[in-house]
Amino acid sequence: MTEQNRKISSLMEELDDEVSSCINCGFCETVCPTLPASGFRSSIGARGRVDLGKEIFKEVRESGRIELKIGESFYTCLDCYACLQVCPAGVNAGKVSEIGKALISSGEITVKSQRNPIADMIVELTMKYRNPLGVRELCSGWAEGLAFDGSSSTLLYTGNMYQLMAYNKALGKLESQIGSMLSKTIAGFFTKHTSFSKYIKHFADKKMKEEMDNYLRDIYLLLKGTGTTFNYLAKDEPYPGTFIYDLGYREKFAEYAKYLADLFHKKNVEHIITVDPHTYDLLKNTVPKFVEDFDFTVSHYLEYIKPESLAKTSEKVTFHEPCHFVLRKDSYDVPKKLLESTSDIVMPARSGKKVLCCGGPDELLYKGLSEKISMERFRELKDTGAEKIITACPICLSNLKKENIVTDISSYLLEKKKNYKNSMP
Amino acid sequence: MADAIQKIRKRIGKRLLEKKEDLIPYMKDSSYYEGNIPRAVAIASSREEIADIMKICYESKTSVVMRSGGSALTGSPVPYTDSVVISMSAMNKILEAHVEDGYVVTEPGVRLDDLNAYLNKLGFFYPPDPASSTAATVGGSISTNAGGLRACTYGTTKEWVLGLEIVLPNGKIVEVGGRTLKRTKGYDITALMVGNEGTLAVITKAYLKVWPIPEEIGRILAYFKDSENMGKSISNLKGKGIIPYIAEFMDRLSLDAIKKAKNIDSPEGSNFLLMIDIASTHESIGRKLDEAKKIIEEQNPINIKITRDKDEMRIMYEARKGLYSSSLGIRDSKDEYIEIGDVVVPPSELPSSLKEIEGSMKNFRIKALLFGHIGDGNIHANIMVDLKDNGYRERVEKFQMELGKIALKHGGSVSAEHGIGLEKKELLLEELKERGSMEVLTLMKGIKKDFDPDGILNRGKIFD
Repeated sequence: MTEQNRKISSLMEELDDEVSSCINCGFCETVCPTLPASGFRSSIGARGRVDLGKEIFKEVRESGRIELKIGESFYTCLDCYACLQVCPAGVNAGKVSEIGKALISSGEITVKSQRNPIADMIVELTMKYRNPLGVRELCSGWAEGLAFDGSSSTLLYTGNMYQLMAYNKALGKLESQIGSMLSKTIAGFFTKHTSFSKYIKHFADKKMKEEMDNYLRDIYLLLKGTGTTFNYLAKDEPYPGTFIYDLGYREKFAEYAKYLADLFHKKNVEHIITVDPHTYDLLKNTVPKFVEDFDFTVSHYLEYIKPESLAKTSEKVTFHEPCHFVLRKDSYDVPKKLLESTSDIVMPARSGKKVLCCGGPDELLYKGLSEKISMERFRELKDTGAEKIITACPICLSNLKKENIVTDISSYLLEKKKNYKNSMP
Repeated sequence: MADAIQKIRKRIGKRLLEKKEDLIPYMKDSSYYEGNIPRAVAIASSREEIADIMKICYESKTSVVMRSGGSALTGSPVPYTDSVVISMSAMNKILEAHVEDGYVVTEPGVRLDDLNAYLNKLGFFYPPDPASSTAATVGGSISTNAGGLRACTYGTTKEWVLGLEIVLPNGKIVEVGGRTLKRTKGYDITALMVGNEGTLAVITKAYLKVWPIPEEIGRILAYFKDSENMGKSISNLKGKGIIPYIAEFMDRLSLDAIKKAKNIDSPEGSNFLLMIDIASTHESIGRKLDEAKKIIEEQNPINIKITRDKDEMRIMYEARKGLYSSSLGIRDSKDEYIEIGDVVVPPSELPSSLKEIEGSMKNFRIKALLFGHIGDGNIHANIMVDLKDNGYRERVEKFQMELGKIALKHGGSVSAEHGIGLEKKELLLEELKERGSMEVLTLMKGIKKDFDPDGILNRGKIFD
């Protein structure tokens, strides 16, 4: 058996493990955000994805090939894992999509047209520039004038996530203007000619960039206020590789994860403080499966903030919980507890294990779908009657920012910090 | 059929799905049946659209299959012939709520749990609660006359449908029944539509009766060594005028399945769990639960307890509702699928029926989980079937027939709440023969012919 065949066979085994426990009860599709957003096309919902998983398993067993065009079904999956929360048999349609995307990206047994040019572009740029849009050198501007401790083994790791939202938003607008076919063609061009990606920097949404940079400065101040000392890699800081994994490029992700581990070792890092849920989840739960010596401890900056350091107010706020915090195996409720200690928090009907994703992960590949989901979620949050809608993820914030009442938890908590003098160090 | 599809495409545009990838999910329901791939799937958004689609199909004699939640257990929404599927998923609005008059009006694609989440805010609920209520819809549950856990108090869906708007196979829209709790106006077509399994007409709107939520619900969990004592407990309760809100049972294999799936323990030596919910007022719930407990204790359970802890009650309720899926966790191999038996007997016949069913399982060397709604005498058998073992498959078929015959012998029926679909056609004939009522089949075929002269709706279901 060749190495490639072995990998395909291992993916098929993984797929069988997941889909063979499904009795097609349909519980998963009742919570899948993409099903209603697609106009109830079953293939763009959780149960349809599992059905297609079963079908491609049969196809491969019978012919060794996948003729079905599964790309749209699996790439539209938000990986929110809402489906897993309601499945009585523990089937994860999100995982089926991950395996489906891995089969597509392997390019070996699926028809070529299933690959998504934008996904290919993102992966190529990340592998080359350590940033999905090739703008890494522009991602450390927020830290200008701030002091870091270069000798600290504790690293503040932004993963470029907040910074990328300014480009995401602008590219999203561009796609709406030029259409998805043309944007895919352009993406195909960038994939082949990566050096042209330098022009992407001109697409930043200035307002969003300023807002995101401010949040990062707020995170810095909150963390500094706890007495923690930490380093920051500035222009050397890479993107964590989330897209590479989410889009199913497992071999490339393994290579990328190794690069991350080597870089952190080289920089004498022992402890990593993340600032967003995607990076937190990826470094804590996924990267260690790909790299043996990923021996760093991983935390989130909010863990350092003591509730008693925050002033209690009667302000009525609502909180949009990130999927990567609450729909993973161990719920991470630090942000919610901090908000409870400082405000009158009113949660929307779909919260906790029933939370509705913001639609963000589809922003680049399926903007229309993403927009419908984010509008629905925004309305739900607004209907709570809260004065402010708080998010704890740059992707959620960018997607839900329909009005100015939406703000990041960093900014909100900083306002509540007791004895805080509003001046940059 | 190509012409019909072209006309439907012209009518609803992109909401007509035609790509193979889009059609595959519509080949299956929640049973083991896999039907033909549909020629196209129309995602309907209004009754007018459905009327137009039906007219097109009627004129071209195109076979049509209705589908909404896709959670049926007998293959009833599975395309059996070359068909166009009409999906009702997008018609999922609650149109009106008149709790003061005791009813709501909904579209057919509303999921039962969503309807109840809405009604609960008003202090009301819609009682039919099949275990699939998360996914099951108003239209689908009317079409199969779904029952559920609360049926021992509230009956099945047929008790709760006041009226319907339906589209006939020729595309005409009519209303049957209506908004009022009483009406007598000739033959009850509303009742005829309940359980028709999509063979007579398309439901586009439902007038449903609703009920106030009980003030308090408490639960008794009693574990028994044998089925007879458990069965007597429920007969004694009902004999003394205590009608449980829910009365469920699970056998040892079912308890093993929920242990594996949900990590819910059961006391050592217990072979059966009896789960009784009692509904009452705040003031009297404690007393009612104690009374029921005392009656059950007369049958020497090996363990019994009362709980009113909402989380504990929810976890067990969800475990029971998810038991079908959880059953897969105790398969011996991935090649096994599950066939579901769904028979019913008068509740007082349940202990002796269960004994006979257990004996039959031993005779046919069948591995099955026995559980069900003991309060109304409804027994489910989730039978493990190894696809590779032809001998075993034959034994399962014989056992299914035997299961039906046991129910008939005790005055029951071969199908309690899942319908006939593709699966129980032979069993239906068996019941009609047993009761000396084969003429009923002729009547049913006549009714079908009157509604649907060319037989375009859900071909091959209920009877051939």
